[in-house]
Amino acid sequence: MSIVKTENLSKVYNPDTVPVHALKDVTLSFEQGEFTSVVGPSGSGKTTLLNMIGGLDKPTSGSVEIDGFVITGLKDSKLIDFRLNNIGFVFQHYNLIPVFTAFENVSFIMLLQKRDKKELKQRAEELLKAVGLGDRMDAIPSKMSGGQQQRVAVARALASEPKFILADEPTANLDSEAAMNLLDIMEVMNRDKNITFIFSTHDQRVIDRARRVITMVDGAIYSDEVKEVALVNN
Amino acid sequence: MYTKLAWRNLWRNRKRTMITVSAIVFAVVASVFMQSMNRGSHEVMIDNMVRFHTGYIQLQDYRYEDESSLDNSFHYNHETEERIKRVHNRIGEVLPRIETFMLAGDDASIRGALVLGIDPDKEHAFNRIRDHLTEGSFFGLNDQTVVVSEGLARRLGLGVGDQLLLLGQGRFGMTASGLFEIAGLMQHPLRDMNNQTVYMALPAAQNLLSADEYVTAALIELTRENAAGTVAAALSEEFADDNLIAWTWPELIPELLQLLEFDLVGAYFMSGVLYLVIGFGFFGTILTMTLERMREFGVLLSVGMSRRRLASVVFLETLFISIIGVAAGVAAAWLIIYYFYLNPVQLTGDVAETVIEMGWDPVLPMSFAADQFYMQGIIVFLLAMVVFLFPLVKVFKLNILEAARR
Repeated sequence: MSIVKTENLSKVYNPDTVPVHALKDVTLSFEQGEFTSVVGPSGSGKTTLLNMIGGLDKPTSGSVEIDGFVITGLKDSKLIDFRLNNIGFVFQHYNLIPVFTAFENVSFIMLLQKRDKKELKQRAEELLKAVGLGDRMDAIPSKMSGGQQQRVAVARALASEPKFILADEPTANLDSEAAMNLLDIMEVMNRDKNITFIFSTHDQRVIDRARRVITMVDGAIYSDEVKEVALVNN
Repeated sequence: MYTKLAWRNLWRNRKRTMITVSAIVFAVVASVFMQSMNRGSHEVMIDNMVRFHTGYIQLQDYRYEDESSLDNSFHYNHETEERIKRVHNRIGEVLPRIETFMLAGDDASIRGALVLGIDPDKEHAFNRIRDHLTEGSFFGLNDQTVVVSEGLARRLGLGVGDQLLLLGQGRFGMTASGLFEIAGLMQHPLRDMNNQTVYMALPAAQNLLSADEYVTAALIELTRENAAGTVAAALSEEFADDNLIAWTWPELIPELLQLLEFDLVGAYFMSGVLYLVIGFGFFGTILTMTLERMREFGVLLSVGMSRRRLASVVFLETLFISIIGVAAGVAAAWLIIYYFYLNPVQLTGDVAETVIEMGWDPVLPMSFAADQFYMQGIIVFLLAMVVFLFPLVKVFKLNILEAARR
């Protein structure tokens, strides 16, 4: 069964004045364990698509189904709760809580889920070690490099044990080494833990690593290519 | 962790928070100080009024309030006193008084005077009346002499050792007249009474007024002042069959209390203006703290923090600023007032003379009333609630995508 399904998803901004068709009848599905890049030029609709899948925006028509549950039309409070327990987010600008340490940033999500304190501590430590930040747990974001902050963001996204992770341009602000390092981590998570990643990206390094590449142009799917093996593994 | 988040957010811009806290501290200190000064003199006035005039509670014949006549006095002896004391454990001493207006003078001049028959020892224990003696001595319970207030003595041109004629009407229309030696002169702390009062021993006054074992009022001393309402109610109930009623001091001097309350309006108005100005500063801080974090709020909502929880974190931030400001403000105000309590501001010139004439020390007394401190907390808390409306609306109306684009 697909973990994410979109059915005739459309989004029109300013329908009454100057209509902008950000998405046009997009029908897609993503399976558990995919490592997918959504690519395309600026304004092609990839971020809009991710926002719809992530429940951050409402479609003009069509529907989004996550693990068999239609989220389109859910109330704001239900959506927030749904996102907390089902979707992990990694943002281009990291967006960590600046006054929290790496450990607190990761455990905060689990606190929102009202998890047991002991379990929360153990999992936050495990995740930070898994992203290579076992020795930076007490550092606050401003004392970390961009790469380190994005790794904390990945750990935070994984903390809630989501069904999949949406990553919007996760490497855009990172240097080459940090970007490769981050991709390595995400790839290991995907391979070893079967975690589904859906990226929106311009970055060729991400596209090369992806096993499926969806190209969007003018709000519609231009191509949907599944690679036998990701290029980097060749 | 939400508390931790709110607390740390507060110190993201340390200078801004400190400026806001300082503004609140200033408002609290200024407000408490102004009120303390005003209420300090009011408290002295009320205290004198209670101790020398009304007592905390007065037990009277129920008709006496409408017609303050000796005909409406009531029978009072040792048994009555014991019965009063048994009514409530907060009752301390009972001070019997008989009071009437008479003509006082000598063969040269005569004036209207308030004649008060008192138990001098009990009265002194309650209000230190002997300390107000400026000349001569005070009478004992069985003496036939009088103590005259200075203002009245001056008007009559009499002094210690002179004879004072008292002429008037006793109980049930009996003629009351007598010649009494002036044993002492006193500076009465209540200006009006300083111009018209004659004190004499209770038995002598009762005898003069044909009212043996009768008093016009029994003043009740309390071991805890704020028990006045409860004790008065218990006394009224106990003595209902005797046609007696107990009044609390605020019931006996409502006009004075209204006047003092009116006098405080100026201080309240100044505090209001102060808090309005400070409120805008406070609002400015919260406004900036909110607007500069809209993107962050958007992210928190994206990752699953509910709007209610986010609002509660912002509420905690507002609350922390208020608590720090109020706590520091109250502490500072307390220290300042305490200093001026120990080292009161000395009044000089005409003001000092007027104050001395009224029987008070020429200083600015400060009030330590608890409510003037905790009221500031309540005011700042209410201010915080109003200020918090802005982030509350912002959080609940926040569009996640628009916030993320900032």
